[in-house]
Amino acid sequence: MIQVEHLTKTFRIPKKKRGAKESSDINAVNQVSFRCEPGRVFSLLGPNGAGKTTTLRMIAGIIKPSSGEALICNLNTTDNQFEVQKKIGYLTGSTGLYERLNPVETMQFLGKVYGLTPDLIQKRMNDLFELLGIHEFKKKLIGQLSTGMKQKVSIARTLLHDPDVLIFDEPTSGLDVITAASIIDLIRSAKENNKTVIFSSHTMSEVDLLCDDLAIINKGEIIYNGTYADFKQEMNADSLTQEFINRVKEA
Amino acid sequence: MKMIFTIVKKELTELLRERKTVFNSLILPTLIGPVLIIVMIKVTQLIDKKQQEQHVSIGVINAPQDFLALGAENKLNTFIPLESAQDFDILFQENTIQAALIFPNQWEKHLANLKPNQVDIHKNSSNDAVNKRLHHLIEQYQQKLKDQRLQQLGISVDKITPFTTNYIEKGEQREIFGKQFGGFIPYMFILTMWGGCLLSAVDLVVGEKERKTIETTMLLPISKFKILIGKTMVVATLGFVPAVLSLIGLLGSIQFIPDIPVFLKDAIGSILNFKSILLTFLLLIPFSIFLGGSIISLITSANTFKEAQSKATPIIMLLIIPLVLAMTPSFTLNWTTAFIPVFNIGLSIKEIMAGTIHMGMYSVIFTSLIGLSVGAVYLSHKKFSDENAILM
Repeated sequence: MIQVEHLTKTFRIPKKKRGAKESSDINAVNQVSFRCEPGRVFSLLGPNGAGKTTTLRMIAGIIKPSSGEALICNLNTTDNQFEVQKKIGYLTGSTGLYERLNPVETMQFLGKVYGLTPDLIQKRMNDLFELLGIHEFKKKLIGQLSTGMKQKVSIARTLLHDPDVLIFDEPTSGLDVITAASIIDLIRSAKENNKTVIFSSHTMSEVDLLCDDLAIINKGEIIYNGTYADFKQEMNADSLTQEFINRVKEA
Repeated sequence: MKMIFTIVKKELTELLRERKTVFNSLILPTLIGPVLIIVMIKVTQLIDKKQQEQHVSIGVINAPQDFLALGAENKLNTFIPLESAQDFDILFQENTIQAALIFPNQWEKHLANLKPNQVDIHKNSSNDAVNKRLHHLIEQYQQKLKDQRLQQLGISVDKITPFTTNYIEKGEQREIFGKQFGGFIPYMFILTMWGGCLLSAVDLVVGEKERKTIETTMLLPISKFKILIGKTMVVATLGFVPAVLSLIGLLGSIQFIPDIPVFLKDAIGSILNFKSILLTFLLLIPFSIFLGGSIISLITSANTFKEAQSKATPIIMLLIIPLVLAMTPSFTLNWTTAFIPVFNIGLSIKEIMAGTIHMGMYSVIFTSLIGLSVGAVYLSHKKFSDENAILM
């Protein structure tokens, strides 16, 4: 379960980055609260620069909140950073894979860092490679793989330590339809396995396919939080995309 | 500790699969010693050969016949008789002559009367080969005339020689070579270390941002300090290993390259022994950590290779200036210079090579380097933990 309470993140922008005389503070995320339950898919929806990635990074313990808190399985992400990170699988569209390692080396490295035993690493790796069809290119350097192959390896590394919570930051961004479909399948199967899933997107079609609960974020603030079923019922526009645009504009 | 070694193994594996790193950190330092020595030998041989084979045209006015005969013994000398000195500038510009000698009209008369003569020598100081040949010829001719004059006066050379000198060398050959060439050794080591550290630090920190793997690394359930220590260990290793390889290359080259001048072979052989190598590398270990930590703290906020390199480049000046100063004989290691970073390494390695290192000062330098490396790692940790620097 993910519980987010009044999460706020303020970045100090140095003057040299803005060309200004003084440095300034920017509220990337402001008083954000929501809750994601196990066995349900939560979608964090918002335009570019709305604060989606910053929110997900705070939930994953990559960055520290300025105020408020995020709890993963009742553990505070700031106080229990490493314990929390062991419960999380984090996937982005850019894969974030080490290109000079091969898939086997990647799994072995991450397995060790996540504290898995060598036998367990081997078993999980074999199962995931079998499931995702990675065996045939498991000894090739990741930098030499196609985008689709890389995304498969990325999925494998996300699931290696069997996390309770899966976080997807615009997971299909920049991917072709076939590779994107494999991510959609992954989210579905995670839901079936009673995992807590949160994903960010600015594409309504993905939301329609997957989500149970929904929050819309704009300029760092939540402007809608509820079930997807309720959202559809409250719609005034003809399409989901138009409704999303209208709500962002009104906000 | 186990986790740090997992990080080290992964970072080293990644770096050693990058051709640029392998070339700059392993191949180049190994080759730099042999290449320098081969180039030095070949250039010296080429200059000698050129000087020996060069045709020299010398303009002469009133030149005595015996002088012309002496000069003509070398078939590469040509004498061009001239009427006046007025045309010299044009002839020099056209390279028709490379030197000119004006003997006085009264040459024979003054010689006969045992009076001194003056020879005006027109030369271009930038032409080393011509000047050496001319100087040798004049010396030879002057000696010949001196001998003739002494004979004419019936005086033996012994009678006009009040004393002769006999210098006896009391300094050890190693000390002399160490002080002369020892300054070059830290220069070579530190520059190769700089190259290795910079390239690996940029790759491991800014490269991760460019390859978009920094988020994955930050998500690992281990402390940023351990990640940084792992990275710093790799950076320091890839700074230290090139220094070792450059030494191996240097030692290998004096063993296997033919035609090395004996003085150079003796010089290198006498200053590099087990003790001097051990003491030098003991200093370079904390120095490589200091260098690695400093570079990481400087480049962490950069987003591209180019930006990182431009941020780190000023360090090279901070290294070169003290090292060049340390190479000069005017500066020696004392209780003041022992506390000046980098400068103290240059001076101490010079003393180590000469076999005259003061172990008290050595301990101070070693301890201060450990202090500096801890400070540099602390600074890099502060930078590496800064979300704004690492993720934006």
